[in-house]
Amino acid sequence: MWYKRTIPLVIVFVIGVLAFAHNYVPYPEADDFREHMTKWFMIIGGFGLFLGAYSLLHMHVSRIRRMQPGWAYSAFVFIGAAGMIIVGLWNDGYGPLESAPSTAKTWFDWGFDYVQIPCSATIFSILAFFMASAAFRTFRARNVNAALLLVAALLVMFGRVPASESVGAWFGQQGFFPKIADLIMEFPNLAATRGILLGMSLGAISQSLRILFGIERSYMGVGD
Amino acid sequence: MATPQEQIKRMTIIRHIIYALVAAAVVLPYIVKMDMPFSASKWSKKMYEAIDKLEPGSRVLLSFDYDPAAEAELYPMSMALLRHCFKKDLIPIVMTHWPDGVGMCKKACEEAAAESPKLWGKEKISGRDFALLGFRVGGADLILNMGENLKGAFTKDFYDEPTAGMAALEGVDSLRDIDMAVDLAAGIHVQVWIAYGHDRFDFPLGAGTTAVIAPKLYPFLQTDQLVGFLGGLRGAADYELMLEQSGKATQGMQAQSVTHVLLIVMIVVANARFIVNRLRGKQEA
Repeated sequence: MWYKRTIPLVIVFVIGVLAFAHNYVPYPEADDFREHMTKWFMIIGGFGLFLGAYSLLHMHVSRIRRMQPGWAYSAFVFIGAAGMIIVGLWNDGYGPLESAPSTAKTWFDWGFDYVQIPCSATIFSILAFFMASAAFRTFRARNVNAALLLVAALLVMFGRVPASESVGAWFGQQGFFPKIADLIMEFPNLAATRGILLGMSLGAISQSLRILFGIERSYMGVGD
Repeated sequence: MATPQEQIKRMTIIRHIIYALVAAAVVLPYIVKMDMPFSASKWSKKMYEAIDKLEPGSRVLLSFDYDPAAEAELYPMSMALLRHCFKKDLIPIVMTHWPDGVGMCKKACEEAAAESPKLWGKEKISGRDFALLGFRVGGADLILNMGENLKGAFTKDFYDEPTAGMAALEGVDSLRDIDMAVDLAAGIHVQVWIAYGHDRFDFPLGAGTTAVIAPKLYPFLQTDQLVGFLGGLRGAADYELMLEQSGKATQGMQAQSVTHVLLIVMIVVANARFIVNRLRGKQEA
């Protein structure tokens, strides 16, 4: 099955090496190559959107067909998608191939502004309730490390809001708590974040090399 | 000793009480006015100063990489940045990496342009005073492509106007020609802009993110890869404060203050109870 294994491996290796090497070539041809290559990637990425849409719709069709619990929500996905596609194509009479004037407020805009934005923002805001409940039930100073984390979290939470400056002002030190929060963020947080970033980057480099040299083949549906 | 059913029932009641308290903490400050003055944080000030010192006519690329879910935190930031650009006669070039971000870009640009005559006595027209490029797929590849040929990456703007002869993009052939860029992100896009934009094409970059992303960006502030930074609703409120344009973020500060204080009190109470129970357990043993 050379066309299923060898050809993809050769393509990955050649394109990977070129994508890496052209950065070190100081000629305009290298820039042209980069421009062409990034355009190709963008075109391929566009197909990824169709794949994502297909995958989403396929999942919800399956739910409706099997009448799984909550299947009515899946039906809503189709109602919402169909509604937005129709008003988007209609485009207030301008059609799909012409742009509505910049001053026009289309039905598509209305759907986005008054349905999608409030619904998405509401779902996101519900997180505050879950976080409050989870913090109350699980955030405990069980040992020294947990106690340090707890104290740091409380200081940062307090230092980030204006109430901390009002409290500080009572003692003549308006900027005291914000400064403590900044110190925690700029030293211990920075050090830990940089460590994580370095670890992630090294992992990404090693994984890229594994893919480039054909050691990691799971993207082809094949094991090591 | 409580049975498991009794424990579940008790936890459910506690959860409902917490939800009610959080709801009250968010809503009450909008009803009962509280005066809580605050001053802008260091990184917000740096961001404001970096934009404020640009000459009129400078091009500021604004990448609104968020969807409606992050509207509460990032939309006030978008508005504050656009207001600042219009006040200073800078030319914002607005784009997004998120398909859902197009609507946010359009809403922010149109709202800021509509209020500009009233706020600053300046009419702002798309294509002349700002460019709304919209969405393209690609992520890092799009940034690289813009670094080589910006008008090739976006041949037309959101309103289907060709970018080639657009006055707002005159003299801007690639990312090297912009005077500053700011990425407002609800995801990892700031790191992508740093690696593929700032580090390769050498332009000053600022960032604004949701509060949960904020801690990840401090290493880039220390290395000057970011000139400034707005973190969460507080960052947006800082910017509104410096711009002397009180908006949604400033209004939200009271609610955020009360909610944070409530959370702190709840965590302290829960821990006090935990420690007392632990000590009691030790004594009984």
